[in-house]
Amino acid sequence: MSNKSKQVPTVAYSESAIRNNLSITEYCRTSMAALSGCTAGLLGLTSLHGALFYIMAVTTLWLMILYKAGFATWNKYFISRKSLLTSGIFGQLFTYILCWTFSYGMVHVY
Amino acid sequence: MSADLIVDTQIRVWVFLPIVVITFLVGIIRHYVSILLSSQKKVETQQFQDSQLILRSRLLRENAKYIPKAAFLSRRQVFNREEDGYLTQQRPAVTSSMMTDPSMMTDMVKGNLTNVLPMIVVGGWINWMFSGFITTKVPFPLTLRFKSMLQRGIELNHLDASWVSSASWYFLNVFGLRSIYALVLGENNAADQSRQMQDQMSGAAMAMPPDPKVAFKAEWEALEIVDHQWALADIESKLIGEEKVKTE
Amino acid sequence: MAAFHKLVLSLGFLSMFHAAYSAAQHRSYLRLNELDFTGLPSDIFLQALLSLLIIMYGVLNVAGNFKEIKASADLDSKSWETFRNIPSFYTFSHRGKSFAA
Repeated sequence: MSNKSKQVPTVAYSESAIRNNLSITEYCRTSMAALSGCTAGLLGLTSLHGALFYIMAVTTLWLMILYKAGFATWNKYFISRKSLLTSGIFGQLFTYILCWTFSYGMVHVY
Repeated sequence: MSADLIVDTQIRVWVFLPIVVITFLVGIIRHYVSILLSSQKKVETQQFQDSQLILRSRLLRENAKYIPKAAFLSRRQVFNREEDGYLTQQRPAVTSSMMTDPSMMTDMVKGNLTNVLPMIVVGGWINWMFSGFITTKVPFPLTLRFKSMLQRGIELNHLDASWVSSASWYFLNVFGLRSIYALVLGENNAADQSRQMQDQMSGAAMAMPPDPKVAFKAEWEALEIVDHQWALADIESKLIGEEKVKTE
Repeated sequence: MAAFHKLVLSLGFLSMFHAAYSAAQHRSYLRLNELDFTGLPSDIFLQALLSLLIIMYGVLNVAGNFKEIKASADLDSKSWETFRNIPSFYTFSHRGKSFAA
């Protein structure tokens, strides 16, 4: 079924499955950014602490996704787990900042 | 930090929250309105035929090595025959430009109606209704450069740059809520501008340039210069396992 | 199972709101007593963090299941009969017609 050429076993990936997985992780990432932003604002974190909190949240989410996929079997679902971590960091930063500002304003400013 | 302003709690209820809610709901309304207005793009039969032709020719080019030479030549002949090949046939010039096609115009008007108009109307309304409030404070220090961006509508020189005025809060929301829409409305929602890009990607096979002649010419050239190398020359011996036979 | 995860999700949100409300209350208490803000009480802090974790767990499970990305994965479950069924090769114009007539 998989077309194995001479030495390198080329693995055929299913496009739609990859896209499905990525859209799920994207969903998780967006909600994670929004929620951790709200939490950071709630806790009253300012400046550098907030950034650290974001990095922590991204890493936690990464670990949770890996846990969901199974630590031993993650490569059944993702091609690279490093890019799974790095691609999520900056994409949702703006969402995080907005939610952070929002809940910080709601809880601590007034 | 301890010497900061004390902001009236009423502002939270009557300015800060309403701006978020209004921006969010306008985005959702925009999504449904553009669904309501969207029209299925009609693909002309001729155009569709052309794009499929190009696809077939590309397939032939890429997989030419798997068919015998005679088969390849005869297929190419069908495409490239001088007088009536698929790629060389004469076509009346297509004059489908932006202005002559009325559906193009209505599409543009609809796009403006759902994207630009709410932006202007709601933005203007919020500017007028909630002008001049300090709404919130960003939880990180910012340089003075951001003052003009974050404190639109408030001209106070001594105010710390991390305070945000109501008009700027609205704009922050407009840009920041985009991914929240993706969460709420599902992907490919109309509140998001990046959808149009995706449309173009998926419709790549459908969308033909208005003038197929150019594409045909390029395809004709590419097909002409294909050098046919049959990859299956000694497939029989390979199949029965004598791999030592030299492939060349 | 999905209902359970949704329940977890809503519980997490409730807890988060409660934490936020407590924090706001704490802040106004400090302001009324003219005290300086040094940090939230540890119970609110813990509650917020815990509810974040709970919500994330819920979201992760509500979001859906991953699919295997190997192209052969969804072929494995199909039988030979499915593959052999090639509609383009159907022939309807055969002698069976005269039998049926």
